[in-house]
Amino acid sequence: MNELALIVFTPLLAGVLAWLLDIRGLREAIGVIGAAVPLAYAAMLYERAAEGLSFAINLGVFNITFALSQLNWFFVGIAALVGFSAILGLASTAKDSYEWLFALMSLTGVLGVFLASDLMTFFIFWEVMTFASFMMVLHYNKQASLKYFLLSVAGAYAMLIAIAFIYVKVGSFDFGAVQAALTQDAYAKMLGGQATFSSGELMALFGLFLVAFGVKAGLFPLHVWAPDAYSETNQSYTAMFSGVLSKAGVYGFILMYLLIGTRLAVEFGAFRSAPKFGYIIAFLGGLTIIVGGLLAALQEDIRKLFAYSSISQVGYILVGIGVGTALSMQAAMFHALSHALFKGLFFLIVATILHRTGKTTFADMGGLAEKMPFTFAMAFVAILSLAGIPPLVGFASKWVLFEAVISQNLPILGGMVFFGSAIGFVYLIRFTYAVWFGQRPTDLDDTKDAPLPLAVAMAILAFFNVVLGIAPGLVARELNKIFGSDVIGGDLFILDLGFGKYNALAILTYLIAGIAVAAVIYFLGAKVRKVPVTDTYQSGNPVTMDYNLTIRRNFFLPLKETLSGWLRISFDRTYRDIGAWVEDFGEVMRNYVYNGNVQSYAWYLLLILLILAMWGV
Amino acid sequence: MIETVLKALFILLYATFVGFMFMGIIRIVTARIHRRVGPPIYQPILDTIKLLSKKSNITHGLIYDFGILYAVGATILAVMFIPLGSIGVLRAYGDLVLITFLLEIPMLGIMFAAMSSGNPYAGIGAQRALLTMLAIQVPLGFAIVALAEYYGTFSTYQIVMAQQVSGWSIAHLPLLLAAIAYDLVLQAMFGKEPFDIMIAPGEISLGPMVEFGGKHMGLLNIQHAIALFAETLFFSNIFLGGGVVTAFSSSVLNTIASLGVLLVKQIAVLLVATFMAAIFPRFTIDQAAKFYWKWPTIIAALGAILASL
Repeated sequence: MNELALIVFTPLLAGVLAWLLDIRGLREAIGVIGAAVPLAYAAMLYERAAEGLSFAINLGVFNITFALSQLNWFFVGIAALVGFSAILGLASTAKDSYEWLFALMSLTGVLGVFLASDLMTFFIFWEVMTFASFMMVLHYNKQASLKYFLLSVAGAYAMLIAIAFIYVKVGSFDFGAVQAALTQDAYAKMLGGQATFSSGELMALFGLFLVAFGVKAGLFPLHVWAPDAYSETNQSYTAMFSGVLSKAGVYGFILMYLLIGTRLAVEFGAFRSAPKFGYIIAFLGGLTIIVGGLLAALQEDIRKLFAYSSISQVGYILVGIGVGTALSMQAAMFHALSHALFKGLFFLIVATILHRTGKTTFADMGGLAEKMPFTFAMAFVAILSLAGIPPLVGFASKWVLFEAVISQNLPILGGMVFFGSAIGFVYLIRFTYAVWFGQRPTDLDDTKDAPLPLAVAMAILAFFNVVLGIAPGLVARELNKIFGSDVIGGDLFILDLGFGKYNALAILTYLIAGIAVAAVIYFLGAKVRKVPVTDTYQSGNPVTMDYNLTIRRNFFLPLKETLSGWLRISFDRTYRDIGAWVEDFGEVMRNYVYNGNVQSYAWYLLLILLILAMWGV
Repeated sequence: MIETVLKALFILLYATFVGFMFMGIIRIVTARIHRRVGPPIYQPILDTIKLLSKKSNITHGLIYDFGILYAVGATILAVMFIPLGSIGVLRAYGDLVLITFLLEIPMLGIMFAAMSSGNPYAGIGAQRALLTMLAIQVPLGFAIVALAEYYGTFSTYQIVMAQQVSGWSIAHLPLLLAAIAYDLVLQAMFGKEPFDIMIAPGEISLGPMVEFGGKHMGLLNIQHAIALFAETLFFSNIFLGGGVVTAFSSSVLNTIASLGVLLVKQIAVLLVATFMAAIFPRFTIDQAAKFYWKWPTIIAALGAILASL
């Protein structure tokens, strides 16, 4: 059997098997193997990605076609790696076989989306992915799952309309054919000839794709499903949900660039050096960074905090894609990789905390670093990576992104991404403070460290966070292969953009040397004596464990007060209002149209006959 | 290799020494503004030696110690990337965005250490520090964007060289606006009134620093000295033309002269900050956020837009 089909369908098969057998121990083993196979094959196909493998099944009406290229190998690699870690985490946290089925099904869906080589296959697997993730959320919370479902359906049908539209004009679903047709159309337009797509049609197409991919990526203002859906499900699964499934939206935007980007750019022109339509994506991405980040800082629930943080980070990727130069595209993909790595790690940490303590709000936690040292170490890596501390992978990708955006003379976007980096710092410290440090509530005194599968899963992701951070050249090399040119120069440890250079190894060396110098001074001093948390300065008053010393609630109250005017605007409420209107409208229609009066039904008949008569039937 | 190590060591010692002198200058100048005599200029060094030689030190755990070491290490890291006249270990990699980040990350170590003590004053201090950082990031970001767009490069060293040809950055209107915004931001970066909200002596008992004593506080003094040096040096490099003197035939004389020129510029930056600090009372944290998101942001954004035209 073809390797691509194996990559896509093994998780689904394993999921079904795990669901049918439903024997504790066995279902975990089958599930993990099902997720390991795509990872193994993705690694094996690394060398052959350049040749371009393909696979097709004829379903009569249309074909299911997969193809492997450098671009989608990169995304398949992310999906397989983070997916495997998430599934490994699931071995500790899954409650029943239902979760195995749908978690693995959504892995199949997302791998299918990345490997698809025609629009119909893309759409089918997109729906598989959406359905499976919806079922995962439904298992935990109906309200959240319905919100997710409704917005996803809106996105999916927007995509379906767009696909049908392209099919009518081009006559093919195949990516290659669509791209060729639209590029030709772009040239025709440029040279003043007759174009197949009119300006209005293109605008509609862009709008439809923007909704379709924006929903999945969590683009502002279509992000409202994410905080609920990400938090109200198995947190090990969320590692994949946020780490990989949101990348399907990102991949969709890249695909949009490939397929209709040239035509759109020709039609709508450019704003500065970015195409105008791309600038819209980038600007919305910038707003996503700010809104997601500020809301993350104000959350009181650990899962919600990371859900908003996930939205915020995807905003960076969309800024990179929107700007649309080769460098910014590479930066976006680099950040997609690092976001998957550190956000996957974060949600596994949340899963561990939830698994071991059963608590999710900051008010119930504190001082866990002593009880869960391994998990804290992993959290430390993840925090440094997300906050963009060199030399971890989160900094390398953010750095490339900053330079890519600013070098294109886009000052407003530059300001937005800068703000995003600070807000990332802000909400992470809040997480660190409330969960790991300070006074420990007495009911957490016998908390144990992470179970083995979760620990291994976290270690895998942390390893990549560190290694790819110290050697960002590894990623840059892959990204250069996708574009076929050395957009990011340098070697293993150095990224060279021409107007800026980043040397991860030098940073590591000098950081270690600096800490060593400090350590020498530290150890030359007198010995330290360990004191308990209650032996502390409290305006000179004695303190016992009965006092709550750690600020656990409303940590960023001044921020909330500063932003109070803005926080009154809520898109969540807007959607809820629209939902209520639709329901009311349905009620009104039911009352007036199906009014139970026989005579009014006779009048309807008469009305239709009149219309037909006027039509001249 | 050995030459690099020696250079790095020289930068480290010079930065620490000058940083301590800066701390002394701030104290003397503030005293003279208040019509006091003030301490001798080397007083911060004496303070630090005293703190480091305390017989009894306390700790609240591993992170409490490591956070401090990390803060000092990260500050040393930051100072290595900023061009110091013609002496530079890593100035080829002295990227604007990188240095801006590196100047912020020592804060992370201090906050980690402070928070792990579990003191509520440290918690509130960390909150104020984070919100201050969030507030200054907007004008700071626009100022950096303005610089990068005006010069078309992110390399600090190349910006210094470009100023040799086309005059100081503040001579150009877009960058003058950026410099004004950055100077207002510096006030918060130094931790000086009216934006010393994070430390706020008298209000929240030194905030994050409340639990540190003995050698922890001594190390933090060293960190503060190096950070003061690094921040003034960065500002002088990007806005005040840096220090590149080529008037003498001997390279040693040139180096000493450029260090001297830089020192004058750094002290000028420092004095402006000290004068402001001496006459303004402290803002509350929400006032600071509203302030930084209004005037400095408008000024810096205007600079960035003008620079990109």
